[in-house]
Amino acid sequence: MRKARKGETHVFRLFVAGNESNSLQARENLARLCEEHIKGRYTIDTIDVLKDASSAYKNHVLVTPTLILVKPIPAVTVFGNLNDTRQILAALRLKCPR
Amino acid sequence: MSRYRELAVKLKAAEDLMHALRTQQVDAVVGARGPMLLRLKQAEEDLRNSRNQLRALAANLLSVRDDERLAIARELHDECGQALTSLQLGLSWVFRKLPRGQRPLQERISSLSATTTNLIRSIKNVAGQLRTGALDELGLIESLKSQAREFEGDTGTPCRFKTNVAGDTFDRSASVAVFRIVQAALTNVARHAQASRALVAVTMRKNDLSVMVVDNGKGITRKAMLSHESIGITGMRERTLALGGTFTLGRSRGKGTVLTVRIPLSRVTGGTASAQVKSEP
Repeated sequence: MRKARKGETHVFRLFVAGNESNSLQARENLARLCEEHIKGRYTIDTIDVLKDASSAYKNHVLVTPTLILVKPIPAVTVFGNLNDTRQILAALRLKCPR
Repeated sequence: MSRYRELAVKLKAAEDLMHALRTQQVDAVVGARGPMLLRLKQAEEDLRNSRNQLRALAANLLSVRDDERLAIARELHDECGQALTSLQLGLSWVFRKLPRGQRPLQERISSLSATTTNLIRSIKNVAGQLRTGALDELGLIESLKSQAREFEGDTGTPCRFKTNVAGDTFDRSASVAVFRIVQAALTNVARHAQASRALVAVTMRKNDLSVMVVDNGKGITRKAMLSHESIGITGMRERTLALGGTFTLGRSRGKGTVLTVRIPLSRVTGGTASAQVKSEP
């Protein structure tokens, strides 16, 4: 699996449901992880499915929170509140699991 | 991407999704008609309420059962017991009035009289079992002690009774519950454990009353522990939970089964800590 090249921008799409607790946690966790590991090299597009459900259909999102790593490819989809930092870093290829 | 790889990725995604759902990390499900917020916390609350209602119902059922048992015991003792006693007296009277030389008749009446005596004894035993022994007269601790002795007498298995409680005035409903729990536990030991030793320990601790029934038998199986058909275990658990206590049943480290029930002191003493702890020598 391809690792991100140095300096490459990570593009995330995060699907949330308003200010529900898991959605809030996912937003905070993602922002924190990005700041800690790829500071200045990321963009996060947050989509609230309560306001924009059609984007969720288009992206085949079934539940919220759902995070899609759009770039670098291959795309990765992660479900839940992103509390498990180690697993999330590994899934997003930001750090190898120990 | 090969077909196999594609399937593996889909499977992993499905597993991740299941994990997120199972660990309640999902707020909304996006369906054909739009997003639907999953009020998981509300559902949890509803479930907890239903459980509490069910528990209260079970406690009520147990209390009704205890009352019915008491009524049946009274009926057995007063009605059947009295009728059988007068039958026995009648048989003795007939026996005495029989002319000499009526040996077959005398033997028949003697045998009927012996059967009646056994029946009276059985009814007394059954009534005693139904009536929670002498709980009202003796109190919980003495009744449990007597139950341990009875167990020993009935099964031939030595049963020790250990306590640090002296002079109890426990709440009646809590006493009935603890008595029934120990009764059911000892019945299980007699029926299933194949034990050569048993122990009943009642310990007054800082915040709760701990009741333990331990045996050195073959040990309860996991299947029996979880089975819904184990009415005895379910009854013990429900009685404990109705008193706000905790119920644990498991195999002991060596061999055998350990049952531990812990009930908050406030529920056992009805709010007043009236049971005394024996002072250590």
